[in-house]
Amino acid sequence: MIVTIPNLGNISIAAKALFDGLKIPYIMPEVNHNDTLKIGSFYSPEEICLPFKIMMGNYIRSIEKGADTILFAGSCGPCRFGEYCELQMKLLTKFKPDLRFIVIDSPLDIGKKAFLKRLNEINLSSSASRKEKLSAMLAAYHTIRILDQIDAKAHELAGYEREKGACKNLLYSCKREASACDNPVQMLKVLNDYKKKLRQIPLDYSKNPLKVAIIGEIYTIIEPFSNLYIEEKLMDYSVSSKRTLTPSWWLKDTFLKPLKINSLAINHAAKKYLPYKIGGHGRECVGESLLAQQSQMDGAIQIMPLACMPEVVAKSILPSIQREKDFPIMTLVIDEMVGEAGYLTRIEAFLDMLEYKRKTGVKWAVCSSFPS
Amino acid sequence: MVTVGIPKGLLFPKYHVFTSAFFDELGAQTVSSPDTNKTILDLGTKYCVDDACLSIKVFHGHVAWLKDCCDFLFVPRIMGFKEREFICPMFCGLPEMLRHNITGLPHLIDTPLASLQNDKLYTWAKNVGYRITHDKTVIKRAFNRAMQEQSQFCPGINDTNYGQKIALLGHTYHIHDAFINMDLIQKMNDAGFGIITEEHVPASDKEAAVKRLFKKPFWSFFADYYGAAIHLYQTSAVDGFIYLSSFACGIDSILIELIKSETGEFPFLIIKLDEHTGEAGINTRLEAFLDLMKRRTHDDRYDSQPGEHQYCGKSVV
Ligand code: SF4
Ligand code: SF4
Repeated sequence: MIVTIPNLGNISIAAKALFDGLKIPYIMPEVNHNDTLKIGSFYSPEEICLPFKIMMGNYIRSIEKGADTILFAGSCGPCRFGEYCELQMKLLTKFKPDLRFIVIDSPLDIGKKAFLKRLNEINLSSSASRKEKLSAMLAAYHTIRILDQIDAKAHELAGYEREKGACKNLLYSCKREASACDNPVQMLKVLNDYKKKLRQIPLDYSKNPLKVAIIGEIYTIIEPFSNLYIEEKLMDYSVSSKRTLTPSWWLKDTFLKPLKINSLAINHAAKKYLPYKIGGHGRECVGESLLAQQSQMDGAIQIMPLACMPEVVAKSILPSIQREKDFPIMTLVIDEMVGEAGYLTRIEAFLDMLEYKRKTGVKWAVCSSFPS
Repeated sequence: MVTVGIPKGLLFPKYHVFTSAFFDELGAQTVSSPDTNKTILDLGTKYCVDDACLSIKVFHGHVAWLKDCCDFLFVPRIMGFKEREFICPMFCGLPEMLRHNITGLPHLIDTPLASLQNDKLYTWAKNVGYRITHDKTVIKRAFNRAMQEQSQFCPGINDTNYGQKIALLGHTYHIHDAFINMDLIQKMNDAGFGIITEEHVPASDKEAAVKRLFKKPFWSFFADYYGAAIHLYQTSAVDGFIYLSSFACGIDSILIELIKSETGEFPFLIIKLDEHTGEAGINTRLEAFLDLMKRRTHDDRYDSQPGEHQYCGKSVV
């Protein structure tokens, strides 16, 4: 059995640590680029949402390289994500008839027995001892936690750095080095080193950078390729950005969900505007925009794939928040056709207006009515 | 007397018998919008966010049309038909979309409904009824009457006295809205084709067909349409499928592929609707498809004798 997974931001690095620790043969997905999407779109139905297509691209490339098992975390939420695997299986087994899928769904939906059975499938192909397995899992968990911390810190500090590009370069080399490690212990060490290095970056706290929250559909905001590397761009513009939805957030949310104590702050904030869970992360999107406003950020950018159902609902609500709270929110809808140039212009114009609003203190409704 | 506005969009064709009886017995007057027309569609595209699917836009149109002539607007927030099943994120967030897209709405009756089980439905009805009257016995009576009338009503179509038969798949609100599907049913009947819809396939047959999936579908629509399509295909009950879908519908995008992958070369026409769909284009494609069907021969008929009309056993609400 040779396992592969789809790309999902930092998850691929943590999964590598896990597979290394469990001694399971694996093929890591290629870093996403335009070809990934092209191949993926070719084999996907035209109207499916973007994450599906990119994932298909990942799978096909990995299968070509010899992978025969796909590991995928499903969900039975009311969005398409939950039905992804069904269709992907159908499409991919045409491509490779003996392909295996291991879908990790919530035990609440598929029953505890099926859940354990599926976990066991992975377990069986691992040659590691019990103790090694346990420590591999712990290490993978810490990897993703620390990686997400480093990510968040670097995105925040980019607004304060003395030497332009310091945070971005550090983040790059951190991920490069971490991906090159072939055992979890070494990887954790690298990450901890970088965490320290990040603290040593010379900062200038007299700067008062723009602060922007990144909200929206979880896959598109976590996987940098699918949002055309928006966080890196914001770092280039010396903007501090913040994103709450991360792989470690997702893990925590999933485990706390059965107890109904997940994401309390977000849900509480969203209550007035969207009292019910609508599927995907629509409610989170609304809640986060309100939290960002409460924590005095300058604005928020919502990112969503074309025709993403929960985000369309959120998108209807965000203008009211923008108006009532005087809090600027821009929506970027992503599809295959989206041109990088047009996208950049919109981000720049938005940042300019945030700058202007801050300087003059006028209401957002006034700034945004200027022709840009 | 209070007036309750009932927009003629989305699942209206499935529940209108229930709602009119229910509100009538409660002592409220009901008013519904006209069948979808150009004005309503234009209102919908004006108010609704661009990215939404056609049916959500049309519903916005109906609501905008009704908003000034009623005290309450009935906007069912249907989360799913069964426990742990869902229908569509847009349905769950529909009342919020309306509130934030259209200003000056009357009170919305938007109590969430998570399951169509009798007791759940009754709790929901109590909640809704309370907005109109505080008299519990009246609510109970209204509920019973509404359920009784609904149980005798089947929203599906099953034509029997035509030469060939086609399964018309897709959302109820696409099939029953002659304006947005441009009189598709009439056109097919005129060309000599009968129609059967998902409601006329018994639930047990649908369930059996759904079993072949790797995973139990958690979309109620999914189980119904997929199950019906596969069952009709396997029993050779129809000569072909027409799927009425709308652009930007996430559920259809998956469902169509899954049905196609099971039925191979079986005649399958997909019609996608949005506010820009032109009638001429649809006519050409429909004619070509029906011509193809006429050339194919087939023997097996699905169910009843010519001229007989069948009712389905299951009521939707
Ligand atoms: S949340 Fe959006 S992108 Fe994700 S599966 Fe649903 S529609 Fe697709
Ligand atoms: S199921 Fe499809 S057509 Fe119906 S409301 Fe949802 S997205 Fe729109």
